[in-house]
This record gives sequence, C-alpha cells and structure tokens, in this order.
Amino acid sequence: MESRNLIWLIAPPVLGFVAIYLLLPQARRLTPIWGGALAALALVLGAALLVRTATVFVESLLFYAFAGITMAAGVMMIAQKNPVHAALSFALVVLSTCGLFLLQAAPFLMAATIIVYAGAIVVTFLFVIMLAQQEGASSADERSREPFLASLAGCILLASLVCILHQAFDTRHLDDIARELTQITEAKDDVEIKRLSCLGDPTKTDISKLTRPLVEKLKEHYPEGTRGRAEADQLQIQWVRMEVEPLKKTAQSLLQAIQSTGSLALYDVPGKAKTPGHREPGKLPAGNVAALGKTLFTDYLIAVELAATLLLVATIGAIVIAGRRSEVLR
Amino acid sequence: MSPATLESYLLVGAVLFTLGMVGFLTRRNLILMFLSAEMMLQGVAINLVAFAKFRGDLGGQVFVLFILTVVACEAAIALAMILMLYKRKKSLDVSLWQELREPDQEPILDEDVMPPGDKPAEFEHLTPAGAEPPPSKEAEEVSHV
Amino acid sequence: MFDATFLMWLIPLLPLLASVTIAAVGRRWFPDKCHIPCIAGAVGACMAAILVFVAVAAGDEAPIVTGQNTPWISAGHVTANFSLRADGLSAVMLVMVTFIGSLIAIYSAGYMHGDPGYPRFFAAVSLFLFFMVGLVLANNFVLLYACWEGVGLCSYLLIGFWFAKPSAAAAARKAFLVTRLGDIGLFIGILILWAHSPGHSLEYDDVFRDPRHFHFGGMLFWACLCLFIGAAGKSAQFPLHVWLPDAMEGPSPVSALIHAATMVTAGVYLVARCMPLFGAEPAAQLIVACVGGFTALLAALIAVTQTDLKRVLAYSTLSQLGYMFLALGSGIGEHKLAGLAVTAAIFHLFTHAFFKALLFLGAGSVMHSMGNVIDMREFGGLRKVLPITHWTFLCGALALAGFPLLSGFWSKDEILTTTFEAWQQSAGPVGGLYGLLFFSALFTAGLTAFYTGRAYFKTFWGPEKLPPEAGHHPHDAPPLMAWPLRILAVGALGVGIVLGPFHLFAHFLDATWIKRAFGLLAEEHHANMPLMAASSVIAVVGIGLAYWMYVKQPEVAEQMSRRLATLFELSHAKFYFDELYELAIVKPMTILAHVCRIIDAYLLDGLVDLLGQAPALMGFLVRPVQNGLVQYYALLMTLGLAGFVLSILLR
Repeated sequence: MESRNLIWLIAPPVLGFVAIYLLLPQARRLTPIWGGALAALALVLGAALLVRTATVFVESLLFYAFAGITMAAGVMMIAQKNPVHAALSFALVVLSTCGLFLLQAAPFLMAATIIVYAGAIVVTFLFVIMLAQQEGASSADERSREPFLASLAGCILLASLVCILHQAFDTRHLDDIARELTQITEAKDDVEIKRLSCLGDPTKTDISKLTRPLVEKLKEHYPEGTRGRAEADQLQIQWVRMEVEPLKKTAQSLLQAIQSTGSLALYDVPGKAKTPGHREPGKLPAGNVAALGKTLFTDYLIAVELAATLLLVATIGAIVIAGRRSEVLR
Repeated sequence: MSPATLESYLLVGAVLFTLGMVGFLTRRNLILMFLSAEMMLQGVAINLVAFAKFRGDLGGQVFVLFILTVVACEAAIALAMILMLYKRKKSLDVSLWQELREPDQEPILDEDVMPPGDKPAEFEHLTPAGAEPPPSKEAEEVSHV
Repeated sequence: MFDATFLMWLIPLLPLLASVTIAAVGRRWFPDKCHIPCIAGAVGACMAAILVFVAVAAGDEAPIVTGQNTPWISAGHVTANFSLRADGLSAVMLVMVTFIGSLIAIYSAGYMHGDPGYPRFFAAVSLFLFFMVGLVLANNFVLLYACWEGVGLCSYLLIGFWFAKPSAAAAARKAFLVTRLGDIGLFIGILILWAHSPGHSLEYDDVFRDPRHFHFGGMLFWACLCLFIGAAGKSAQFPLHVWLPDAMEGPSPVSALIHAATMVTAGVYLVARCMPLFGAEPAAQLIVACVGGFTALLAALIAVTQTDLKRVLAYSTLSQLGYMFLALGSGIGEHKLAGLAVTAAIFHLFTHAFFKALLFLGAGSVMHSMGNVIDMREFGGLRKVLPITHWTFLCGALALAGFPLLSGFWSKDEILTTTFEAWQQSAGPVGGLYGLLFFSALFTAGLTAFYTGRAYFKTFWGPEKLPPEAGHHPHDAPPLMAWPLRILAVGALGVGIVLGPFHLFAHFLDATWIKRAFGLLAEEHHANMPLMAASSVIAVVGIGLAYWMYVKQPEVAEQMSRRLATLFELSHAKFYFDELYELAIVKPMTILAHVCRIIDAYLLDGLVDLLGQAPALMGFLVRPVQNGLVQYYALLMTLGLAGFVLSILLR
C-alpha cells in the first residue's frame, strides 16, 4: 500500500479520535465546537474515501444519511455529559442502524431491533431518571476515565481495521475487469471486438496464448470448479471461434455478478449446501420474514432452543438479583 | 456501481464498535457503560447483516436475532445488577467499585473533583397523588399576614 | 532330591520377608515378639544354606548358578542380572553367615529384651542378613556392590541403634563415612573391570575367565588396588581401620554379628573372590600382604593396652582380619600358592567367625550382668559369678589365642604356612618383605595370645570386684543367651579339629571352587610341623605371660606400664590415629565446609535471592495494573487487541 494512500486512509480515524478526545467529558474541556468540527471533517473525509463513482443512487444517498447519523449519534452518545441525552443519542444510533438494516434487505430485523431496543431504551431511561437525576451532575458523568489512552486505543484499532478492510476490498483490478467486460458487451460487431486489446491477438494460432489478459485475470480469482471459472473458459472458447453474441452474453453475465456483489471472490462458493436461507451472492429471498423463520426453525433450531433457555435463565437471574430487597433496605 | 458495498457497511460497523468501546472505557456511569456495550453489539450486528446480504445467506440475519436475544438477557441482568450496586452506594459511579485491587495499591481517586456547590438540577414534577400538598412558605407568610 | 536353585532364592528372601514383616507390622501387632520372624527367617535361611552347601559338595565342580536370565539393569553397555551363584566359597560363607546369624538372633532375643527399639533392632538385623547373603550369593559385581552398600547401611543403622547417645550417633556416622571412602574405591575398581572385561560384562565368569590374557593392559594393578581399597574399608584395614573400634557403640550382638563375624569379612571375601585377578598381579598382592600384616601387628599392639573389653575384641578383630589379608596377599607366584592362600584366609575367616562371635557374645553377657559396664578395671574375678559366660569365653579366648588343637590354631597355622611359603618362593627384596611379614605375623600371634589372656584374666580372675551398676546379685546369661554361647563354644573348640588336621576344608574348597577358578588339580596339603610347634609354643607362652602378669604378679603389669610409659601411652591412645585423622582430614574438611557454607549462604544464596527478587520486582512493576477498576482492565484488553491487529497489519 503506497504511503499517500495510507495517509488518506488513516486520516479520518485519527481526526475522528482527536475529535472524540476533545469532546469527551473532562475537567478542562474546550467548547464542543472544535471537537464537533473535527468530527464532521473526519466524517466528510471518510465519506470521500468511500465515494468512487459520480453516479448517485437513491440507495447510496440513504446509506450516507443513515451511516452519518449513526456515527454522529454514536459520538454524541459517548460525549454527552448528561446521561439522559446520552440515552437519547443511543436511541438515535439504534434507529439509524435500523435504517441500514433496511437497506441491507433485513426488514424483520429492523422491526425487531426497534421493538427490543425501544423497550430496553425506555427501561434504561426510566432507570436514568430514577437514579441519576436524584443527585444531579456528578463526577461520574463529568469526568471520563483515561480519555487519552482510550482514544488512542480506539484510534489504533479503527485505523488498523480500516487498513485491513481496504486491503481486503481493494477493487482496482475489479474495476479493470468490469471496464473490459463492459467494452465487450458494448461492442457492436466482430470487427470492433477484434480491435479490443483486452482479449489478445486472434491472429496468433496458439490457442493457449489467446485472450490471455482478461481471461487470465478472471481465472486468478475463480478457483477450479466454480461458475466463474466455467464462464471464463467459455469466454475464451467463444472468442477463439468468434461467436459474437454468445461472447457478449457471457461477458454480460460475468459483469452482472461483479456488479451485484462488488467482488469477484464470492461469486460462487463451491460446495456450499443449499439451505432455505441461502441464495446466490447478493440476492436474498423476497419474503424476508418467512425466509428468516424457515431458516430459524430448520438450520438453527437447536440454537433457537438454547436462546430460549438463555432468556429464561436470564429472567430468573434478574429476578433473583434484583429481588433481594430486604437485605439492602434493612 | 453502487458505493454502498460490503466495505462501506463494514466500515460503519467498525466505527460503531470502536466508538462503543471508547465509550465503555471512558464513561464512568454504569448505565452509560452498559449502553456503550450495546452500541458495540450494534456495530457487530451491522457487519452480520451486511455479510448476509453479500453472501445471500440468511444465517447472518439469524445471528443478529441471537444477538438481540443476548442483548435482552444482558439488559435484564445488567439493569438488575446496576440496581443492586446503586442500592449499596447510592451512586452509579463505577469508580466506587474498586475494592478488588491488589492489597497494597492506593485507591484511584479523582484528580480534579467536581467543584462543590453545583445544585442538582431540579426537574418539575407533579404533586404526588393521594396526599395533600404541604403548605408552601409563601402561603404560610401570607396567612400570617 | 531338592532344587538347589530354589533354595538359593529362598536364602535371601526369608530374611527379607522377616525384615519387611517386622518393619511393617511388628511395632503395632507384636512389639514383644519381633524376634520370632527374625529368628525364623535366619534359621530357615540357615537350613537352606546347609542344603545348598550339601548340593555344592555333592555336585561336580561347576558352580550352581541361577537367574542369569533375570535382567535387572540394562543401560547401554551396563547390564546386570539378578543372578545368584553357589560355589565352594559362597557355600562356606553362606553357612557361616546364616548359622552365626541364627545364633545371634536367638541371643539377641534375650539380650535386647525390654529395649524400646526391639522391633527396629530385629528388622535391621534381618535386613542385614538379607544383604549379607545377597552379597555372598551375587554372581556379578553390580549385585555385589548393591548388597555391599546395603550391609553398610545396616551397619550404620545398628551402630547408631541407640542414636540418642551422641557417641553412638557419631560412631555410626564415622563408620558410614570411612567405609564409604572404601566403597568409592570398590566402585572405581568395578568401573575399571567393566571397561576392560570382554563384552563389558560384570558377571564373575566373564571377568575371571582368563585373567592372564585379560586385556587390562596396565590397568589390572589399579583395578586390584581399587578393589582392595573397598575391601580395606569394609574390613577395617589400615589406614581405614579407625571406624571399627568406635562401632562397638552398637549393641553387643551387633558387634558380634556385623563387626566381628560377617560384614567385616566381606572384604576378605571380595579379595578371595577376586583372587584370579589378584594372583596375576604380584604388586597388588604385596600391598595386600603388607597392609594386612601391618594392620595385624598394629591392632594387636593397641589391643594390649585397651581397658574396654569390647574394644580389645574389636582390635583383635582388626588384627585377625589383617591376618586373613596377609594370607591372601601371600598368594603370589604360582597358582598353587594362590589356592593355598585363599584356603588359609577363608578357613581363618570361618573359624574366626565362630570364636570371635562367641567372644563378643560373652562380652555382651558380661555387660548384660554388669549393668552395661564394660571397662575391665571396673570388674574382676567374675568366674564364680558368671560360670557359663566364663567357660564359654574361655573356649573362645583359647581358640583366638591359637591354643593347640583349637580352631584358631589350625587356621592361623595355615596362614603362617602360606606366608612362610611365599617367603620361601620369592626372591630378592620381595622375599625379604614376606620374611619380615612372616616374623611379624609370628610376633602378632604371640601378642594375640597375650592380650586375649589379659582380657580373660582381668575379667574372670583375680579378686571378685563388681561395679555398682551391676546390682547386688548379678545373674548369669539366661537360657536364651546361654545356648548360643554353648553352641558357639563347641564350634570354637571343634571346627578346627574337624576340618583342620585332615584338610577337609581345603579339600572341599579345592573340589568346589579353587580347581575351577585357578585351573589346578587337587593339591596335596601337608602340615608344616615345625611351624605348628613354634606357633603352639608362642601361644602358650603368650597366655602364660598374661597369667603371670595379671593373676600371679599384678604389680608387674603396673611396673611394665610405667617403665614403658611412652610405648604404653602410644598403644593406649591407639597410636593417635584418630587424632591424626582429625588433624589431617577432618579439620581441613570442616574448614572447607565452613568456607563452602559461607560461599553458599552469602554468594549463592544471594544470587538465588536476587533471582528470586526478579519476579517480585516484576510484580511490583505490574501490580498497579491490578487497581480494581474494571475499566482499566478493559483498557488493557483493548490496547492488547489494537497491538494484535496492528501486528497482523504490519506483518
């Protein structure tokens, strides 16, 4: 990873955690404006890092909105002196997270999260009002513990995660492949296709040397036995035989797969059992609730039972712990 | 091509996770620490949901459901425990619970304590039901006059 | 008729069983009857030994060997089996050891009666018998060495039997350490044998097969010397003789059994067993002879002036053991002489066991009735008071003194003959040395007669004198003690006359061992009549002198001691060997030990403590981490996680 790129990657987390350090409740805290400005800068920088195309979809707009709200509300939650405000910020975090869930085809989870967390938040709220407000602002809320070290640790962790993510999702070669595939699909006739440098030189008689660049790139990513590998082989054969329409169709199929997943690697995982919840990459069953229920009560039945037991145990535990009234009040 | 790829969601999840972590590390209010932990779980849930979409496998969403279950359990237990702790010390400050240190260690005390004299914020509240409100001072003065 | 190999296993196992029984349950279940398993084990072993003896005598000249295929140790080139061997030499030793052991066990039942350590005593005695017969029965040097150490251990336990008494504890320690010095020699000797024997075998048959063509190079001398050092340690030969007199701190039966009859003769047995090696190395033989002769003379000189009855007997034991080594060392030159030497030494060992055990038991009986007083100046004229003891003691004393026709006479005569032959057959300075040794042995014989007579007359003759500790009516030995005395007395009187004049013993050994071991045909044994006459005269003169000096003219002894004050003092102080060793060895060692202790306490302990401080320091450094605040713990976890992720990233 070149250092210039690295700086751009690391800048948002570093700036963000400087902001958080400034925002955290401390004895001599600057006005939150500086911290807030820094945080906003970090957010903008991070967003700029994510934006790759000029095209703006509604979905991406919504994503930016929800993600931005989530992160901003998260920062507010940990930076608020007043626990009530913090709890409200957390509610905002949960709500915007639910928006993200919705964007990722998880409507049931969105509803469930809102219900569960709403309950939890309301209860927490009650607690805060019951307990914390009796004594007003306290050291516990006005003084944070080790803000610098905690910010440092968070900064290192987040920067590392960002770098790892960037390494894992380095899509430059993916973009190359997509562009070349697009050229194939958009070609009008065989003359134009023959001119495309990406497919190699058809005058060479040695078949194995033909169409090397693009097909080799594809083969690098698709292991033997996957659908992608089969299509890449097909592409090569069709190119040698100069079957224009099938060639364009194959290229189209490959291009769609890449665009829908944003990745080559997970086009088709070999040997994966077909379960009710499993579809092709990037595609989930239409009836989310029904499919989720099927999955839950087929593949994850034992886990569901265990979760139910866990809930029961937790209920009993909560009653036992909180029920020892006499001992405390005496 | 849509920018809202897997990577973007993972980034948001990572940010939420680290934010929650920092909150857990720095905030001394027990309830806020609890909420920070919940926020870390939210980050994880975003990851799982994004992976579910990406792989076309509902397993990720199922896991989020289990996370919700665990969160519910955790909330029940944690709030019960917070209640108990509050009953003991009449405070939500986690720094009050440091007896489990090495025997020869000095307790960690605040370096700059809150300046005293800050009046607790008084919230407006309704009159408790079922009892006659006590006569206010003003009213007494008026009656004397 | 019977399975000799089975009996050979039985011999060591019966005492071991007795020992284990007594040690395990004796104290709890039958504290007053602990002698029964011990006696039963010893008597059973004795009977088995006699049967084995008969089998050996009846069989052809090949030894009875068993257990060759019972591996015990197998490590690299060191292999050892639990193999036992019964030939003429072991059979004689076995019978002697178990027979004397049985008698002494019976005697101890009376002697030790009422002692709080009754079970412990018999457990140790049985264990000793086990190790001793194991030592004799062993068919290889490893087993021999193990049992050798075992008897040393038992000796230590029994000398220090009354460990609450400081002198007894000190004596036990001294005995253990001094014999250990010899044991190291033995160990080195065995290592040399191991290194040079064919196939690194330590079985007797392999080691002794053909010593003359043995590829020892120049190491044979050193092997013999090291083996002899071991033997000298165990048999208390000069210069390692200092422990035996002190060992008399143990109970009298122990002195009789271990420090007179059996264990101390293990050295003689070892050298006799290794005679095929020693016989091939005249230089080693000369050393053996010189050490033996010198010890004999030295101990006899010391014995003359000792006043402690048991110490007189102890020095006498030293002297007689010296005799045996002198005999063994005389076996030079031809094989014939070696055979003669071994016969003489083992014969003397055999007869000596009887009369010396008898004398010690007699001394024990005197001690028993005198209230544990053993100083001859404290009592006298006991022949009326202790008739049984007196008569049996007399038998033993006469046998020791070499009175004609008694057992000591015959065996001592054979030793003198052997030494005489060695003198005659060797030439030059070596021959002169053997001549000197021969005359010294003659003189020692006279001294022996004199000090034996002195001890006897001072104890049993003269005016009757009882120490206050004895009480008003000192009683003679009870039956349990009297019968072993009587049997041993018969042995002391008769063993020689039965086996001596017709060379029965020599013929037996010839037939069963010597012929095979040395590749000889049976020798014609003949008595040297002039020598016999001379030794008879010397013995009678010595006893007569003692009678004259201590019964007829007691003042003469006083005058003599005054006139020869220097010599008397020298002898009385045991030639200051203890003091010399104290000054030359013990003191420097103590100083060294103190220096080491200082180094250990300040330098090494300091270093170790310093190292020990390191964890404490680390703890001091990281202890603040454990401050009880859960958020710090979480913070450390997070920093660790961040470092981990970073390390993955920067890999």
